[in-house]
Amino acid sequence: MQQSKLKSIYLSLLAAYICLLFPWSGLALQLRPDFVLLVILFWLLKSPNQCNVGTAWFMGLWVDLATGGVFGQYALAYTITAFVAAVYQRRLVLFNNIQQLGYVLSLLLISQLVLLTLKTFSGAEFIGWAYFLPSITGILFWQLAVALGLRTHQHSRHH
Amino acid sequence: MAQGFHQNFEPQQAPAFFVRGPSPFARLVFFAAFSLVLMATDSRLQYLKSTREHLMAFVHPLQVLANTPADLYRTTNTYFSTHHYLLNENLHLKNQALKQAVALQQLQSLALENNNLRALFDTHQSLPQPSIMGEIMHEGRDFSNKKVVINRGTHHQVLAGSAVVDATGIIGQVTRAYPTSSEVTLITDKSLAIPIQIERNGLRAIAFGHGRDNTLDLPFLPANVDIQRGDKLVTSGIDGIYPTGLAVAMVKEVKITADSPFARIVCIPTGGIERHKHILIVSIPTEETNPTEPDTTITKPSTQHKTPALQEVTDAPVAIPKSSAQPTNPNLVSKPHATE
Repeated sequence: MQQSKLKSIYLSLLAAYICLLFPWSGLALQLRPDFVLLVILFWLLKSPNQCNVGTAWFMGLWVDLATGGVFGQYALAYTITAFVAAVYQRRLVLFNNIQQLGYVLSLLLISQLVLLTLKTFSGAEFIGWAYFLPSITGILFWQLAVALGLRTHQHSRHH
Repeated sequence: MAQGFHQNFEPQQAPAFFVRGPSPFARLVFFAAFSLVLMATDSRLQYLKSTREHLMAFVHPLQVLANTPADLYRTTNTYFSTHHYLLNENLHLKNQALKQAVALQQLQSLALENNNLRALFDTHQSLPQPSIMGEIMHEGRDFSNKKVVINRGTHHQVLAGSAVVDATGIIGQVTRAYPTSSEVTLITDKSLAIPIQIERNGLRAIAFGHGRDNTLDLPFLPANVDIQRGDKLVTSGIDGIYPTGLAVAMVKEVKITADSPFARIVCIPTGGIERHKHILIVSIPTEETNPTEPDTTITKPSTQHKTPALQEVTDAPVAIPKSSAQPTNPNLVSKPHATE
């Protein structure tokens, strides 16, 4: 059971990574949610024993490679986000749907803020509030996943 | 019996609830420190360059996979493009070929004349540059810099530092070459500077990318500089990276304010970064170029015709003599590129 779960975790992470590699451009590029982080958060909340801070860091490195930025930027952002997610993971059972969305939104924003800070240190300019749009589209995707039956705390409700 | 009991006991695991390994905080500290070290190593030292190239070899098949749907869509589109469209395009291309054939005839006689003059001056002959066709695969994924990724890499003899042009002008410069793809920093990126020349009067300056919107700046030029709206900027070729006379940008506005001794000049790039897919990589293999080092010589208009021009340009193999750069000269060189 553990093996199959690990398999599905890594397959879904691979799928998310390929989504990142699509030739996005223009508006779609501005709106593109952070697929990899969404999948990491999903597994982190659903099965924290298989997917943890280390997984987030590892995937962050691959995202760094794909974006062509300095190594370690996404890795650090994902690590910090995954840590916050892991600390409050137990409380998620008590949240209703709206609260859960707010929780995921704040996690996505944390990752973007960390990334923005790191980029600013290396001399980038803030491109305006549109920078935070991927977080909004991110929770829309999350809601879609929930609507399709992917519940993070299924086990606690039904069993 | 006791041994049997022991064997039974051994493989038993702790309940899943407790199997969490190191605490999240310990993991955070470890991996955050690791990331910080990586960032410092990558940005200050050059150790990770080959690692990045090796890892990119793993990413490349995934990239090809991710590009497949878009490629498939385009191929089908091309396949079903109508007869009418192809006929129109054929006609248009024939007209263009005719026009260019005339220009080419003039160019040949001029090239001959130019060669003779150069022989008289005993300067470098301009070398024909090797060029590589390529396609833009996708835009850069990083919001903070303007980049595109193209489908030619070190396997196709692309070197970091080569200039990238399309049919309408300069697009940018290769800043990182992987085995089968390379990253091109666009001329609108903040970190890229390009030595230019005003086509109308031969004035030389350096254009910097603006970064946020797709424009170029010409900073540190005096308020009384002879630049007008609509002036064309072409490459001057004095850096030995970009070939001479390629269209770069067009001046959009010249703002002169009372509180600043400098004019604020905004230019729009001529190259179709967002419109075209096919590009040409032009490299000058004889020179070792540093892609991120901006050129630092800005020649002021007053000093320009006093300096002996040939001494200045002899180190650049493709430069044209400056004092003879009358308005007609760069015009002719850039004609095939400036089609609009």
